[in-house]
Amino acid sequence: MLEHYLSLVTKAIFIENILLAYFLGMCSFLAISKKVETSIGLGIAVVFVLTITAPANWLIHHFFLEEGALSWAGLPDVDLSYLNFIAFIAVIAAMVQLVEMILDRFSPALHQSLGIFLPLIAVNCAILGGSLFLVERQYTFGESTVFGFGSGMGWFLAITSMAAIRHKLRYSDVPVGLRGLGITMLLTGLLSMAFMAFSGIDL
Amino acid sequence: MRSNLYVLGFMSSVTIILGILLSLAATSLKEKQDLNIQLDIKKNILRSLGIPKDRSQKLSPDEVHTLFDEKIKTIRINEQGEEDPQGKLTVYVKMENGKPDGYAIPVSGKGLWSTIYGYLAIEPDGETVKGITFYKHGETPGLGGEIEKDWFTSNFVGKQIVDKNGKTVGIHIVKGKVNPNDKDAAHKVDGISGATMTGKGVTRFLEKDILMYAPFFQRIRAGVN
Amino acid sequence: MGFLSKKSQQVLTDPLISNNPIAIQILGICSALAVTVKMDTAVVMTLAVMFVLSLSNTVIAAIRKLIPNRVRIIVQLTIIASLVIIADQLLRAYMYDISKQLSVFVGLIITNCIVMGRAEAFAMQNPPGKAFLDGLGNAMGYGLILITVSFFREVFGSGSVFGFQVIPQAWYNAGYSNAGLFVLSPGAFIILGLFIWAQRSLTKFEEA
Repeated sequence: MLEHYLSLVTKAIFIENILLAYFLGMCSFLAISKKVETSIGLGIAVVFVLTITAPANWLIHHFFLEEGALSWAGLPDVDLSYLNFIAFIAVIAAMVQLVEMILDRFSPALHQSLGIFLPLIAVNCAILGGSLFLVERQYTFGESTVFGFGSGMGWFLAITSMAAIRHKLRYSDVPVGLRGLGITMLLTGLLSMAFMAFSGIDL
Repeated sequence: MRSNLYVLGFMSSVTIILGILLSLAATSLKEKQDLNIQLDIKKNILRSLGIPKDRSQKLSPDEVHTLFDEKIKTIRINEQGEEDPQGKLTVYVKMENGKPDGYAIPVSGKGLWSTIYGYLAIEPDGETVKGITFYKHGETPGLGGEIEKDWFTSNFVGKQIVDKNGKTVGIHIVKGKVNPNDKDAAHKVDGISGATMTGKGVTRFLEKDILMYAPFFQRIRAGVN
Repeated sequence: MGFLSKKSQQVLTDPLISNNPIAIQILGICSALAVTVKMDTAVVMTLAVMFVLSLSNTVIAAIRKLIPNRVRIIVQLTIIASLVIIADQLLRAYMYDISKQLSVFVGLIITNCIVMGRAEAFAMQNPPGKAFLDGLGNAMGYGLILITVSFFREVFGSGSVFGFQVIPQAWYNAGYSNAGLFVLSPGAFIILGLFIWAQRSLTKFEEA
């Protein structure tokens, strides 16, 4: 069982990285990856929120929305799966708020450093994408948690490495039109090519 | 700044209006969506059995239903491979002029990410692959997702599920291209570059499902069924 | 477009090149790339975004004066999410094959920054008619990039356009083979990078 989870984490982090293979969370990736410190902050926040929202949304989907999920309430024929999107996004927004409040109460220092990133995360595609993937791939509760954590870690890894590269790049002579977004896209391409070397690794 | 009461009222009315709209849309379209799913399954069973002959030809929904009703006989079999209305396994038999012209069995299992579903069709000789289709999966588009493409599935046609000693074997998806001089080349197909893991998963569940139906095909080869 | 005033025309056409949402405003890149392996998915995705973006802009603009400021983000999000659900249900009912391929990416239109961004930046300040045009224009700008990227990926990666083979068989016989890299994700990043380079050199746009 442990092996199974381990292989799922490896898959989510390296083999099919949520950002480099699925392009999720690109907007904040491009906007925030200018500085290493801030990207570490945002990366940690994403890991945190994904690890919470993936299992939370699994519960919502499994006990309320899935076809036949309401049989415990005596309504076995109801299929509310069309409400998935709206429920997930609401759960994510609520979770982000909750995390913010808990952090503020118990760890003001962490709240200080992550605070500005948390609201941004509610509209990060990687978070919603993670939840949609776990429905599509029919994960169990445990798998969802592990997958959420793994995808978050993958995203964290991608944004910090990109920030480090961009830091180095600051003194390079990039052609005018390519500066900023253009060169970042090309670099992401190279990074994702490098990550493809992991494909085929089986644990 | 508006009063809390206003905000509450506003939010409730937004929720109610949208809720009604959504349930209306969902319920009115549900029937059509379920039909689509049915149609897709029928279409894939037909495709695995080589209908239509020209792969690029698209069948209209009506054609799919008529062809399915006309040509396909659904039978249930038990674990010994005998026809049995109470059996747990399903076989779709393609009938041509009153004689069986291929057997399609459902196959499914884990790929890299998701459960892959498909149909594997065997020729009336009970050992040669007639065709294969994959119709539902959550693999990465362009990588593992290529399993549903013709270039990949057409490699399966003509492969053997029985080796020289009469033992039932699976079909292996290899990494890269199959070496034509390989003595097991009849049981191997070309892999998809960049999707080794999906290939491994497909290999695994094809073997599992083929073995499950092995008694049935054995009986066919022996001419019992 | 004689029936539109010059100003509305600008609202519609500006986002196409000079103020393109993807290339200049850096919005909505996520879903832009994932669906560009084939042209047909890119076109359907563009249509879905067009549907959601123009309607969400119109609806939000129509009730903009009623929306309490404190909860405006959540109201926008609810309206967008509902429209996305409707789009998804319609696709499932009428274009089942393509909706299977788009899978989760239709749902991700909700978090597509273009939709939220236009709601917040344009629809909250403008009348519905104009907001509709703005939505349509931005969706077209988005679609322009999507379709261009998918064109290159499909031609070089699979040798076809809309599924029809365009690279002559003779080339393959002479040793030409499809560049698998374009089908994979790095191809998308690199094509988009080059596209942005070209677009920015043309418009002389420079990032601060």
